[in-house]
Amino acid sequence: MATNNANQITNQPIHETTIYAEPIFHVGSFQITNSLLNSWLAVLVIIAFCVALRYKMKQVPGKIQHVFEILLEGALSLCDQVTNDRKITVKIFPLVVSLFIFILVNNWLGLLPIVGSIGFLENVSGQSFFIPVFRAGTADINTTLALSIAIVIGSNVFGIVAIGAWKIFNKYVNINALREIVTKFRKDKNVIIVAPITFFVGILELIGEMAKVASLSFRLFGNVFAGEVLLASMGAIFLYVLPVPFLILEVFIGLIQALIFSLLATVYFTIASQDHGEHEPARNASHSDAGGEREEKLASIKKLKVSRNY
Amino acid sequence: MVWLGRGAPENRGPYKKLKTVYFLKIMNEFIATFHIDWKLMIAQLINFGIVFLAFYLLAAKPLSKLMKERGETISKGIDDAKINAEVLEKTSKEYEAVLSKARIEANKIFQDGKKEAETKKTAMLEEAKKEMKTMIENGKKSLEIEKVKMVEEAKKEIVSLAMKATEKLMGSKQDLNNL
Repeated sequence: MATNNANQITNQPIHETTIYAEPIFHVGSFQITNSLLNSWLAVLVIIAFCVALRYKMKQVPGKIQHVFEILLEGALSLCDQVTNDRKITVKIFPLVVSLFIFILVNNWLGLLPIVGSIGFLENVSGQSFFIPVFRAGTADINTTLALSIAIVIGSNVFGIVAIGAWKIFNKYVNINALREIVTKFRKDKNVIIVAPITFFVGILELIGEMAKVASLSFRLFGNVFAGEVLLASMGAIFLYVLPVPFLILEVFIGLIQALIFSLLATVYFTIASQDHGEHEPARNASHSDAGGEREEKLASIKKLKVSRNY
Repeated sequence: MVWLGRGAPENRGPYKKLKTVYFLKIMNEFIATFHIDWKLMIAQLINFGIVFLAFYLLAAKPLSKLMKERGETISKGIDDAKINAEVLEKTSKEYEAVLSKARIEANKIFQDGKKEAETKKTAMLEEAKKEMKTMIENGKKSLEIEKVKMVEEAKKEIVSLAMKATEKLMGSKQDLNNL
């Protein structure tokens, strides 16, 4: 009796949420995973929405167009708040908004009832595993990693276009700082300490770029994957009512994570397009102003001394 | 103990090689754990590229163009309305000015007409009086003439009648004589 029960238990398919996206089928050596399928679905949904919007676009807007226009205006003003420059906003806005839409639709499609529940059984060494056909696109590290690498590389390319390749190169390998040791040593002896530190900060910036990739990708992946695990756990405890508040929570998390990702992308693009060397002449100018004030004070003290002598 | 710089033992010779191998091992474990596949990454990037193109070409670009055109139309409409209001105000002022000027002119014309009419009336009256006077005088003259004429005619008549009577009387005497 006990052995029969054990057999039944072992014959039951295992339904576990894996940390990686499961392959559904292969095209040659290329694996089509459930996350990729969901991403394709997301792409189709977005294209359908864009086509519908394009063909219903009128000078006097309808309901959908009106809502979309309000959202677009809101996104534009939000982007403006981050960049503080309309020119940069206009350049990066389509990229950032399409990033937001792509992540949002992927996150929300992962919450649909068909995702994670429709699938097939696969036998691996005598044990059957349930493989879902769909899985949230952003619940695969490949998606988030690809997007974050693209954003970091894209921001640097944008920076090269905006302020020039030499300045971007100097941001990471600060040759200007090393050159200052030779050029400014006679004027300011402190440069021998400051310049190597500045050079080292540049290398830290380079490491920071890698950290950006890691933080962007793992934040999004971690949140979406944790949401999937949470929903699966709640469904396992009590299937019918318990997951509902968590589902609503996941809807919000999906929105917030898409917003965070796209806003951070905006920040990275803005930082890359700003020339930090611009502040140095201003700082020197302020120093010279301070020097002028000091000279004026000295002159007034001299005048006072002369008047006392008389 | 914290070691800094090249002096740290883990940065020297075999230790360094071990560290590199350990790092590679961790990276391989990481790739294996998360099933990181560059083909999948490229596929997801292509997906995002398609979304970007679809959004940019079908939604963002035409919509921003439409919104810009609408904004221009609205601002043009507002400008036109302002211009129209200014023109209306100017026209109404001109209308008022023209109307008041016309009123003054009409009044002037009326007054002139009135004066002229008065003059003409006076002149006509004078003329009528003169004509009447002339007519009366002419009437009187013609009456006088007629009177004189009538008197003369009456005289003639009387004379002729007297002659006739005399003739008749004379005739009867002869008859008597003939008897």
